Amino acid sequence: MIWFTWRQTRTQTMITAVALAALGVLLLATISTITSLYAPVAVCKSDCEGAISTFLVQFEASTAFPAYLAAVGAMYLLPLLLGIFGGAPMIARELESGTHRLVWNQSVTRTRWLAMKLAAGAALSVGSTGLLSWAVTMWSQRIDSASQDRMIPLLFGSRGVVPVAYALFAFVLGVTAGMLLRKVVPAIAVTLAVYIGAVVAMPLWIRAHLISPVHETIALNADKIQGLSLSPDTGQMTVTAAETENAWTVANKTILSDGSTFTGPADLSVCGPEAPLSKCQAWLGSLNLRQDLLYHPTSHFWPLQWAEAGVFIGLSVLLGAFCFWWVRRRIV
Amino acid sequence: MTEPALKAVGLTKRYGRHLALSDCTLDIPAGRVVGLVGPNGAGKTTLLQLAAGMLLPTAGSIEVLGGKPATGSEQLAKVGFVAQDTPTYANLSVAEHLRFGASTNPRWDQATAQERVAQIGLNPQQKAGKLSGGQRAQLALTLAIAKQPELLILDEPVASLDPMARREFLKGLMSFTAEHKASVIMSSHLVSDLERVCDYLIVLVASQIRVAGDVDDLLAGHFRLVGLRTDLADLPPGVQVIEESHVERQSTLIVRADVPLDGPFAVEQLSLEDLVLAYMAQATSRVAEEAVR
Repeated sequence: MIWFTWRQTRTQTMITAVALAALGVLLLATISTITSLYAPVAVCKSDCEGAISTFLVQFEASTAFPAYLAAVGAMYLLPLLLGIFGGAPMIARELESGTHRLVWNQSVTRTRWLAMKLAAGAALSVGSTGLLSWAVTMWSQRIDSASQDRMIPLLFGSRGVVPVAYALFAFVLGVTAGMLLRKVVPAIAVTLAVYIGAVVAMPLWIRAHLISPVHETIALNADKIQGLSLSPDTGQMTVTAAETENAWTVANKTILSDGSTFTGPADLSVCGPEAPLSKCQAWLGSLNLRQDLLYHPTSHFWPLQWAEAGVFIGLSVLLGAFCFWWVRRRIV
Repeated sequence: MTEPALKAVGLTKRYGRHLALSDCTLDIPAGRVVGLVGPNGAGKTTLLQLAAGMLLPTAGSIEVLGGKPATGSEQLAKVGFVAQDTPTYANLSVAEHLRFGASTNPRWDQATAQERVAQIGLNPQQKAGKLSGGQRAQLALTLAIAKQPELLILDEPVASLDPMARREFLKGLMSFTAEHKASVIMSSHLVSDLERVCDYLIVLVASQIRVAGDVDDLLAGHFRLVGLRTDLADLPPGVQVIEESHVERQSTLIVRADVPLDGPFAVEQLSLEDLVLAYMAQATSRVAEEAVR
């Protein structure tokens, strides 16, 4: 059975290995560029902001930058490809071509057959994504520490353990879809749709609440105001203040001292289209506005990574358990 | 070998509102070559898939070689099953199919498998997807035989084969039964396919078993009676009329009788095909009657 499982998965294993090797070569070829650009930051002892921003500007102009973008893309693409080309056809192809009636009538129970398939596919998904995520996380360490931006949703999902959990989920989702739909192409389509839905929904609605964000209410100084909008007829006004640096801001409200959101009305004689901006700022300063913030600082990176990975691993386990139940009770 | 090959009690299978198999009770002794015959859609595949454990019954019970079908690898090892369309892995070669069999079956007989492959004339390096229908059926049979099952179940194995391939396939099957003393259950909608190889027959029509028994007993217990209508109107108890047709004053009856028949009418032996057709006609007319009611 081990030989047979290997025989059925070897092509995709080979393709994955070749793709990983190509990405590995790309990362290895560009690491020296980053190292030499980073040298001034590495030796910097104090007041390093200038050195860091120079490094970031030079990095974005260097040949390593396309590799950086490719690495982010690959981190999102690999779990998806493993799900739709590894997971979805795994059972669907057997059911579609009727070969399940051949394999289930050898001396191997359906449960064991499914366990072998799931183990092989999960090992490939977790192994390859884990390897790539490790390589990308190591490779981009200096860039991430210089730009302090790995909390932003796009980068968060391409670092650490989250991509590995995505890959496991995509694979088991594909297997489940294939088992229910019994046809390869619809299984791929459904896996694609559900997986993208889940990975997009996560940063939009769910991730921020996995662990409680930091809640802060601070005085709003005029120099922190980043945006002002005002309706000249009604005087309705919204004020947006600068977000906390090096963090992922979940909510940013400008409130009055009683806690209600500030909406104006503006004093049109000082904040109108004709009045100078400085007058308006002075007027806003007299209102004792406060900034109500919810955010995840960089220190939340690993707790959030594990929490999100836990969600997807949990979903994978549930789907896997469903597959075992289904294969024993429902499939002909 | 004392356990019956297949024992079913009140076996019923429903797909939604459609009744595929209704209240089947069977007790097939081990060591027989059983033919399961019936028109298309009668429920033959359902019965065989229940026996192989591919399906679970809606009601009733089924035991194969003393165990519930497909429960555990030991039970699976005892039963070989060749599904209707003889599925094989299109991208695997013939040799890889044998390796697949060897890696998934504890009692695998590689020598027999290779010998059969050579006999059929299959190229071991050929991908199964490139084989003809007959060759694929032969490969599927080879896998099932090399597994060395105690019971071999074949679902319409020759339906899609041309006459030559059909003969080759049945030849292979017969040499297996002669060597291994295993039980075989095979289905077909043609009696002629089964006649030469089977010694036990089940007629399944419209989801119900109409008759089941040893072929010799069946032939010895069924007759065609031809005579005057008046003479045939009153038959002794123990004679069951399966089919009747009347022309003018003359009647032709096909009957099952376990008492000696004697009277002013001609008693003729039946061929197996006539016997099966009589049961099929009976079932069809009953279904029609029920529909009228």
